[in-house]
Amino acid sequence: MLGKLSLCLRLACMLGLAAGVGLAQERPDFTGVWTNYRGPAFGGGGGGRGGRGAALPLREDAQRKIQEYQALVAPAGDTPGGYCLGTGMPGSMLGSGGYPMEIIQRPDQITIVYEAHNEIRRVYFGDRVIPPEDRLPERNGYSVGRWEGDTLVVETTHLREQVDQRYAHSDQATIVERYSLSTDENGTRVLTAEMTMTDPAFYTGPASEVKRWAMVPNGFLMTYECNEPIWLEHLETLAETADEN
Amino acid sequence: MKPAHLALLLIVLTAPVAGAHHSAAAMDFANTVEIEGIVKEIQVVNPHTKFVLEVTDDRGTRDIEFEAHSRNNVYRAGYRDGIVEVGDKIKATIAPMRDGSDGGYVTGFETADGRRVGLAN
Repeated sequence: MLGKLSLCLRLACMLGLAAGVGLAQERPDFTGVWTNYRGPAFGGGGGGRGGRGAALPLREDAQRKIQEYQALVAPAGDTPGGYCLGTGMPGSMLGSGGYPMEIIQRPDQITIVYEAHNEIRRVYFGDRVIPPEDRLPERNGYSVGRWEGDTLVVETTHLREQVDQRYAHSDQATIVERYSLSTDENGTRVLTAEMTMTDPAFYTGPASEVKRWAMVPNGFLMTYECNEPIWLEHLETLAETADEN
Repeated sequence: MKPAHLALLLIVLTAPVAGAHHSAAAMDFANTVEIEGIVKEIQVVNPHTKFVLEVTDDRGTRDIEFEAHSRNNVYRAGYRDGIVEVGDKIKATIAPMRDGSDGGYVTGFETADGRRVGLAN
């Protein structure tokens, strides 16, 4: 009797495990390398769509901050990237693709690597999410993920104020991305992100844009070394100073 | 060339401005020109590759500094270490400065032995 019960329990356990694995596998898998989508569906084009070109609902004081920044950098055409600084959200996400993006997915964390400037975002789930007061504000913020059916919803907060990208924002901004997978008529795997940013300090209403990527089969990212020339130049200066002394 | 590599190369070739870190507004990507020059300096680095070419035209002979894409994208477009050395003569496709001054953006080039980087074959 006990033997039969034990067998039943073991079978139930195995079935439960199998069901658990099955459930885990039901989530869409975004793992892979992605580039800008340029296929025929969705009106073509791979860059951001929706907000680009449209006037952003910026508040006056935010507009003034942006104009002051632009006046400062315009003469030399300076940009953060020219100084080896990553774009930060949402520009890092919307601009990725020309330089590819890699997604590494596991149940409790999704890691997104944007090749340009080696920008990395980590999307946390469940127990890996830390309390808001422990989060360090960064240019890419702190991202928490959840699933709504087959859609991955990522909410990003704890951003630093930035006027040096298209979607300027304050440190009060919240960015919500809704990721979904589809396949176009050519069989290309397409990843779509619908981005909405709300920021009561900078905007009178939400700013939104849609971005699409195509999967690169067997694709890979390269390391983006950017500071080495500055370091080598510094070493040369040190050597010259040493020679003079 | 594998399809994945070709796809990435095409992106490099068709969207040079999108990946540029400096403002590209000063350069005319719609009206590129072909030039020949002797390589005086080449630094294939991020965020921008730098060329200094000795160029001779109707304004005389002089060294001109050009910018090009990042090390990562230049490699994707076919560049490999050692295929261009100081002293080599190269043909380059340039997005010239809109104001007519010296300089511009190298969108592709052909080495002395016929290797093409970032140019349609």
